[in-house]
Amino acid sequence: MLNLDNPLVFAGIKFLGIFVAFNAVLMIVAYTVLAERRVLAFIQGRVGPNRVGYGGVLQPFADLLKFIFKEEIVPDKSTKFIYILAPIIAITSALMTIVVYPFGPRVVIPFTDISFEMVVTRFDVALLYVLAVTSVGVYGITLAGWSSNSKYSLMGGLRSAAQLISYELSLGLSLVGVILISGSLDLATIVEQQGNRWGFGDGLNIILQPLSWNIFLQPLGFLIYLISAIAETNRVPFDLPEAETELVAGFHTEYSALKFALFFMAEYVNMFTVSMLAATLFLGGWQGPGVAQLPILGVFWFLGKVIFFLFFYIWLRGTLPRFRFDQLMNFGWKFLLPVAILNIILTATLAFFGVFQF
Amino acid sequence: MITSILFLILAAAAIGCAIAMVAQRNPLYSAISLIGVFISLSCLYVLLAAPFIAAVQVIVYAGAIMVLVVFVIMLLNVEEEVRRPIRLHYLIPTAVALAAVLIAEVAFLIYSVETSPYVPLSPVGTTADSNVGLTASIGTGLFTKYLLPFEITSVLILMAIVGAITLARRIAVPPGAGVVPGSQVLPMERVDPRRKGDATEVEANTTGEAARIFDLNKPTPSRAGD
Repeated sequence: MLNLDNPLVFAGIKFLGIFVAFNAVLMIVAYTVLAERRVLAFIQGRVGPNRVGYGGVLQPFADLLKFIFKEEIVPDKSTKFIYILAPIIAITSALMTIVVYPFGPRVVIPFTDISFEMVVTRFDVALLYVLAVTSVGVYGITLAGWSSNSKYSLMGGLRSAAQLISYELSLGLSLVGVILISGSLDLATIVEQQGNRWGFGDGLNIILQPLSWNIFLQPLGFLIYLISAIAETNRVPFDLPEAETELVAGFHTEYSALKFALFFMAEYVNMFTVSMLAATLFLGGWQGPGVAQLPILGVFWFLGKVIFFLFFYIWLRGTLPRFRFDQLMNFGWKFLLPVAILNIILTATLAFFGVFQF
Repeated sequence: MITSILFLILAAAAIGCAIAMVAQRNPLYSAISLIGVFISLSCLYVLLAAPFIAAVQVIVYAGAIMVLVVFVIMLLNVEEEVRRPIRLHYLIPTAVALAAVLIAEVAFLIYSVETSPYVPLSPVGTTADSNVGLTASIGTGLFTKYLLPFEITSVLILMAIVGAITLARRIAVPPGAGVVPGSQVLPMERVDPRRKGDATEVEANTTGEAARIFDLNKPTPSRAGD
């Protein structure tokens, strides 16, 4: 029915997929902001925003209206082109990564025989693509800090950029262990391989299916990835560059209205992205008990895992104090990077001796 | 057809960004244009069926090297170029002549490629066996056939790292040395045997206030060797 060899039809289907994914991500991000305010409030012994709509569910729309109607300020001596370009780079590179994540297995629409894989696109170097786009996201913050022509912004921007490029290294290296186990850079392949290792997930073992996820083969890699991801997204305990008591608001001090909303959204989309990557690589993506029998259940398992990671981020924010900047850099270079390299050596040695043959 | 259109767009983007990089006065705009060139080149690599090189191009060039360049421009606060009057008038006809020679060479190359009797193979990527650009084949080649260049490149990168750390090393200042705040104690001062150890020997970019405090405005210093 749908002739996929026709390039226009192919492009049309891909655009539809991108459109659906884009909207889904934006809605999830908007409600993550609300969830953060509510959960943080409950941790701190108060109630968050619950006036707008039932329990506050319309709060994101109220915030959006506020951001649209605020006054657009451009500082007098700033470089206007870069000032406007910086949030565009930040939000674009944050949103570009969602096209490679597999949201579910191959599903068949009932009463027809159209089957499609629930991933927008699938290519060989998906994991490298994610790392590449994350590297470009550093420019959004650096250029924002510099172009605002303000000392708080510049210090915040440079500190944030230095933190990002330092923890990018251990982020990338912690993923090498997973690549060594799976033998592929394609995210959908990595998820498929976490299906039923050693027979978990078949028959009576269906409830033990989580034991075939990658986290049990790479616990050290998972910890390194988690810490690096929290540092990459500038979240507590690594959020000194944008802490309110330290540098006013860091690199986005001089931004207002819609451009600030773009930075704000870019941070939460980044959080969402690294949660998706953690769920895909270490927690088995859409795999879970019951997915082999009912494929559509995979989407709920995936969303459940991603929501768990987002809750974990918010939980950390309400609980931990923040690192000082030199402690942060020491930790990243002198501890985390050697441990990540150690993890690679260990995994490579075990892979050489055939421990990871399935 | 679509690849031709994409190639034209990306090539125009790359050339446009390259010209912008050279023609900009503000150095940060030049750096951003160079990032645009690298990203366009990365997309061109994807068109040539080399996805690994495309991703690595963005990670290494646009994501690491240009971040370093942007940091340097920001921290050193490089000024905008000022329009100066042209002094060397003979350079313009020379540049035009050399550009004409270059265009003639490229035109000759394209002409000889287009009219040669050699028929190329079917384009890379349409045959099922062609996997030259994929990660596995690059890895295999890198660790078997090109192992020696790979190891030598590793040593080269190590040399660069060690050199950078050595050049940026700060020497511990001994107590009692009169160092002007804000100045940088360069290693040469430490190895000079004739150094007397007072504040006037240190090459410093002082603020006016620090210069007044340490009496550096006088021709003969009053704090010599106490």
